[in-house]
Amino acid sequence: MLRKARRSEVRLPGNGRRTGSGTAMSRRRSFTIRRAWTIVGFLTPAAIFVFVFTYYPMLSGSQMAFRNWNLNDLTNTDWVGFSNFAAVFTSPSFWTALGNSVLWVIGSLIPQFVIGFAIALLLQRKFVLRGVYQSLIFFPWAISGFLIGILFRWMFNGEFGVVNDLMLKAHLIHAPVPWLADPSSAMTAIIIANVWYGVTFFTIMILAALQSVPNELYEAAAMDGAGKARVLFNVTVPYIRTTLALTVLLRVIWIFNFPDIIYGMTGGGPAGQTDIVTTYMIKFTQEGDYGRASAVGLIVMFMLLIFASFYLMATRRGKEA
Amino acid sequence: MQKLLSTAGVVGLVTVLTVTGCSSGTSGTSGANGGKVTLNMVESLTAPDRTVLLKSQIMEFEKVNPKITVNLISPPTQSADQKIQQMLQSKNGIDVLEVRDLTAGSFSTNGWLYDMTNDLHSWNGWNDLTAAAQQGGMVKDKSYFVPYGFYLTSLFYRKDLVKQAGFAGAPHSWSDVLKQATAINDPSKHMYGYAFRGAKHSDIDLAGTMIPAYIGNKLDVTNNFKMKDGSTIFSAPEARDAVNTYVQLFKKASPSSAIAWGYPEQVQGFTSGTVGFMLQSQEVIAAIDKSTVVKQDQWATTPMPVGPTGVAPRALGSAGWGVAQSSTNKADAMKLVEYLTTGARTIGFAKSNFMVPNVKSAANDPFFSTGHWAAFTAMEKDPATYPLVKEPGQVSWWTDWQQKADTDIQNLLIGKLSADTMLSGWDKYWTDKWKNAG
Repeated sequence: MLRKARRSEVRLPGNGRRTGSGTAMSRRRSFTIRRAWTIVGFLTPAAIFVFVFTYYPMLSGSQMAFRNWNLNDLTNTDWVGFSNFAAVFTSPSFWTALGNSVLWVIGSLIPQFVIGFAIALLLQRKFVLRGVYQSLIFFPWAISGFLIGILFRWMFNGEFGVVNDLMLKAHLIHAPVPWLADPSSAMTAIIIANVWYGVTFFTIMILAALQSVPNELYEAAAMDGAGKARVLFNVTVPYIRTTLALTVLLRVIWIFNFPDIIYGMTGGGPAGQTDIVTTYMIKFTQEGDYGRASAVGLIVMFMLLIFASFYLMATRRGKEA
Repeated sequence: MQKLLSTAGVVGLVTVLTVTGCSSGTSGTSGANGGKVTLNMVESLTAPDRTVLLKSQIMEFEKVNPKITVNLISPPTQSADQKIQQMLQSKNGIDVLEVRDLTAGSFSTNGWLYDMTNDLHSWNGWNDLTAAAQQGGMVKDKSYFVPYGFYLTSLFYRKDLVKQAGFAGAPHSWSDVLKQATAINDPSKHMYGYAFRGAKHSDIDLAGTMIPAYIGNKLDVTNNFKMKDGSTIFSAPEARDAVNTYVQLFKKASPSSAIAWGYPEQVQGFTSGTVGFMLQSQEVIAAIDKSTVVKQDQWATTPMPVGPTGVAPRALGSAGWGVAQSSTNKADAMKLVEYLTTGARTIGFAKSNFMVPNVKSAANDPFFSTGHWAAFTAMEKDPATYPLVKEPGQVSWWTDWQQKADTDIQNLLIGKLSADTMLSGWDKYWTDKWKNAG
């Protein structure tokens, strides 16, 4: 009976049990003591960099959330307590943006995952010009999100866009669709652009994970008479589950925090109907209201922290089960 | 081992200090070395051709002033103002900067700009500046920048399409525009009447142009959002009529996707021959000239459409050069500002950027009275019909207002907000702001 594969069950050649553990452990200990200061010496510059360029700006920016910090008038930057947070939570636009964020993440993530997985499975096979094809697949990841937004903005333009042109020629529509002018079609358009962009990341990560699955497992599965679907769901997926879980977690956080495409395509419009929380935050920075923008930033950070904690707990429980 | 550690530590520390700018070197706003000065200059409305011209003028300046070197910084236009803000806030790395009417208010409020009033009054070039240029760089009676020119708005129209639609000539009023644009509009032929701007900065067309035109002579010329009686223009019944015409223009004469149109789509609409009319500033002439679809004899400019009272108030957008308060070389920085805003240089700059010049000596230049500048000349000759007014773009809440207006206008166009609710909201917004600002 074919059971789900686990990494711990795999014994690769040369990975046998260690012997002479006492000698090896003392050698490791002396290595650690001797090299500790060197490691600290090499790590310190990186730690300082991370503190100076990540944690210090984050802490410095966080205090703006509790002050009247408007770049257009910095003559009064008094502490205002939680009033910036209150203003955000009482604004209907924030809740619209939050709802859109959820739609944006789910609508982008699922197609990205499915298509990315499918392409990774195809790329795993050997075929002519596979390297060239892989490079082409990975290409979108190298382009700026904002530039992608501008490109898709023109592609989805109602009058001059190639999307309408092709659909008209294929007789799929009879009149140009004002893609970015209607709130529902604008949301669809930005999600399509994001799916195109994000498929690449899943392909890269899943392909790398697939290449780590030992052939012995497939051979054993074949001997047990498992079909392709069975192999996929009982061998491949369980083996690369950790990579899949982390990739999904990363993408949820990145997509949630990814305003570039929306900003380039619709600017959050029409009338804020395609705003996600981060484009909503950008609008405050454009108004010079860094106090409110920082408040939104902190809210986003806490929401993602809570999500990441629950997600990791859930995936760990699943793994243990 | 110790040597290795100490080397790694020193390299790390030096790198961090260098990157974070904590070293005690000579970097800063400008460096003075052996009497030589380096001025850091930042432009905001960056464009490739304009930067080339600016660099050539700076080279001429450096020849005349051999002890001064100018380091021109050209950030992309989209993020330029934010970059300038950050540089000004850090009080480091900036001597001369491009200031716009929209940024002058906040920059001066924060004490980032040098008050050049006294320097300008003792400057030879001051008297050659037009009255608009002398006043254009002022905030609360203090001069913070010298405008190098003004952005003039005209109505661009397709002569051939107007004729084909059976009209004798260009429209004179907003109701004419609606009539002619509706007649030209034919979506089945992929032809539209008006290049409607429904996305970013849509407030310019409605709140800044159409409503003031409908208000006419009741407008306070020192603030085109205010009536002579002190109330906002949005509280006037004429504002409702203007909004109705605006919505009709969208529904009857514009592509439905124009809710998402910003500046690039407007220009693309006109240059691709898809629309008949476009309200834009003169700098788009360069783009239309390059069009392979719309030929020179097919289009022209005409003065801004008037409202029912026969008046079309016009606010000139301005930009110019200012000096940072934090600059340690203000005298040399002023030299550069004065050099760039006088004589043939400033006229050449205005010509190549299709701007209204800032100096009186340009008045007799035929360039500004012929061809596509005919609309400008016509408006200049008739100040009763086309009075100059001032837009309140220097208030610190201007960007907040623009965001609000853009969102409200899109809600109006998609039917989620009524004209009355929008106008009463705008009336309350400005009344409260003025009240709080004292």
